[in-house]
Amino acid sequence: MLELRNVFKCYSGIPAVNDVSFCARPGEVTGYLGPNGSGKTTTMKIITGLIEMNSGEVRFEGKPIQDDLISYKGRMGYVPEEPYLYHHLSGLEYLTMISQLRNLPEREASERIDGLLRLLTLHDDRHASISGYSKGMRQKILIAAAIMHNPELVLLDEPFSGLDVGSALVLRSLIRELAARGKVVLFSSHELDTVERVCSHVVILHRGKVVADDSIEHLRSLMAAPTLEDIFSQLAVEQDTGAISRHIADLIHA
Amino acid sequence: MPKLREFFPLEFRILYRQFLSRVIDLELLSVHADVPRFLGQFASILVLISLSRAFGLLYAADGLAPGAYVSFAWRGQQDLISSTMLLVGLVTIASWDSTFPDRRDVMVLSPLPIAPRTILAAKIVASASILGLAVLTLNFAAGIAWPLVIGSHHGSSLGFLQALAAYWLTILVASVFLYCTVVAIQGLTSLLLPRGLVLVCSACFQMAAVCLFLAVYFLQPTITSVEMAGTASAWLNWSPPLWFFAVFNQLNGSLPPEFHWMAQRAWFGVAIAMSGAIAGLVLCYVRTMRKMLEQPDLVSGGHSLRWTPRLGSPLQSAVVLFSYRSILRSRQHRLAVAAYAAVILLIALPWLQIELSSPRTLPVTSDFLVSTFVIVSLTVLCLRGVFSLPISLTANWVLRTTQLCPTEKYVAATRLTLLLLGVAPAWLVVALLSIRLRPWHEVAVHLLILAFVGWLLAEVALINFYKVPFTCSYLPGKVHIQVMFWCAMFLLAAFAITSAEVELPALDSGVRSLVIVAVLAACGLALWMLNNHRAKSAQLYFEELPPEVITSLGIGSLPQQTPSTTFL
Repeated sequence: MLELRNVFKCYSGIPAVNDVSFCARPGEVTGYLGPNGSGKTTTMKIITGLIEMNSGEVRFEGKPIQDDLISYKGRMGYVPEEPYLYHHLSGLEYLTMISQLRNLPEREASERIDGLLRLLTLHDDRHASISGYSKGMRQKILIAAAIMHNPELVLLDEPFSGLDVGSALVLRSLIRELAARGKVVLFSSHELDTVERVCSHVVILHRGKVVADDSIEHLRSLMAAPTLEDIFSQLAVEQDTGAISRHIADLIHA
Repeated sequence: MPKLREFFPLEFRILYRQFLSRVIDLELLSVHADVPRFLGQFASILVLISLSRAFGLLYAADGLAPGAYVSFAWRGQQDLISSTMLLVGLVTIASWDSTFPDRRDVMVLSPLPIAPRTILAAKIVASASILGLAVLTLNFAAGIAWPLVIGSHHGSSLGFLQALAAYWLTILVASVFLYCTVVAIQGLTSLLLPRGLVLVCSACFQMAAVCLFLAVYFLQPTITSVEMAGTASAWLNWSPPLWFFAVFNQLNGSLPPEFHWMAQRAWFGVAIAMSGAIAGLVLCYVRTMRKMLEQPDLVSGGHSLRWTPRLGSPLQSAVVLFSYRSILRSRQHRLAVAAYAAVILLIALPWLQIELSSPRTLPVTSDFLVSTFVIVSLTVLCLRGVFSLPISLTANWVLRTTQLCPTEKYVAATRLTLLLLGVAPAWLVVALLSIRLRPWHEVAVHLLILAFVGWLLAEVALINFYKVPFTCSYLPGKVHIQVMFWCAMFLLAAFAITSAEVELPALDSGVRSLVIVAVLAACGLALWMLNNHRAKSAQLYFEELPPEVITSLGIGSLPQQTPSTTFL
């Protein structure tokens, strides 16, 4: 189980993540939602150990991750929001490098990489430089790199970005499959429709604070809202969307 | 000022500023880099060279023996023109992509109402500004001192002014010639070849050009009299710095009739280079920009080998292969390595020439030992320097999230990289150069000593280096690069000469050779242990990008509200 306890992080004195606490359990997909700038990616980076929090604690399987960060990293897979990769490598070279850094046995790594490249329809372009890959192809490389070592904790930050319909459907099923096999999956996305289909439990963040942490079913009945979009609008959208769109149209018309 | 603004429209000025900042690849520099100061440090190296040359010329001219003036003047002219052309060549190659439109320009600028000629003009002016600044910095003192020297021997009161005009015009024309030649070749290849092949050819051409410029600069003989023309006719025929030496004398009114054809060749060359560059640029902007939009993004990687060599542990394999591929595939890294490789080749070539031309075996000399020590030390120094040019700071998260080994394992991987990509090739070059040397046991002992020296230098390079190669930079602008440059040159020379002096007398004594080897092995082992011990308590460092702070435009709120700061 992944557990965050009173996590606090601020940049230049301004809180980005403010007293965030929630749990993500094995066997279920936890959706992590929030508007732009609410602190989702900061939380994800804290969980991966990429940035340090000012206070609070992140525990995995009951132990603070900082106690043995190296072993924790070996059990975690992470798909970041932006597909930043080493563009001078080919897709195959990149995945091979990751397998070596993760110390996977050579033959096993080779089989997994080959299989993942085929299943993600990247096999024909495996020798091409990543700099020429489309956003969707880069996203597939990130996904392959994040799961090839069979991690116990899967962190997905906007994993559907740039994927075509077919690949998105595969990924959606894959997320469910990973959870069904007992992995802890934390999934951040703006695609509420997908979150509603995939996640059993959601955490909604607004201005760095958790404003909802419950199952979707329970939230629906609690807030008398038929969809996740309605729940999200009530909790995290402060704007009058109609008025803003009119403002924008007026502005460019003038 | 209003007229100037009318002459250079707003879009030109905006593009010029944009392209000017892109002549230097900012991705190569640290996020904490002080870029203006960094450039200032490079400029200060050039300024120091210019000043020392100016004072040297004035001092040498003062004590000149009668009758030695022509030889002195010609030597000085050739040196100044050659070094300026070398600088222009290196800057042009370093800013290779800055004159032609790249894919980013095409994607961003094509949808905007901007004429291709405005983009072309802004690019040319930006490149010319950087080149002009570099040339001016290198010549600002020597470019006045030299005409003073020449003018004083001219015999007329206008001598100084004529020499001054001749000097700066020659420098200008020589720079234009070299820049236009490179641009013309670039234009021609991108017009005639498919895009994928252009990229491959460009990489080869850049490396070849750096080697060629350095080779011409170091190997070209100095012409000090008309009589020498007969012995160096091949150089006179094919070396542009010598043509422009003739141009200077032509403009200064001091050209011997025997060299008129060289000046003519220079002017002819300038005309051809300029025509080629203009044609190449215009055609590229008309055709290539459209071609770029039509070409597919994905270029097949060809028939790459699936086999990846095992080099020690998986982590060591990953780091060595990552480093090797970074050097091979990144233009800036490749060029930096090419520059060092050219210097090493220039040291090695004369020895190779001696070996090939000598009918007998040769003894191990002090000069040979110095050259080999310079080759090995320069290789380690080069590789350590190139490690500090990051390949992609934004992708460092990959290495951080997969950091499953303690720091000492990463230090071991970096050590292997230094030994395999630096020491081993340099050692092999020296071994090849030693084939004709005798006696055998002296050669063998020297090669053994050199291997230990290489290992020792690799350990020195690893002190406090708790990083993966190509993930962090050396804080340009914060480190005094101009001081480090001169210190490194001085230390390198002192180290090579001292090592040769110590080794040569010991080569014919088995015991003394053994003592040297034992001392080197003990020092290497001590440093290895020290590095490992310190790495155990050190943390692997990755350069961080600043916190991802974004400033919202406030369009989600009422228009009157002020912007607020939010976080991703």
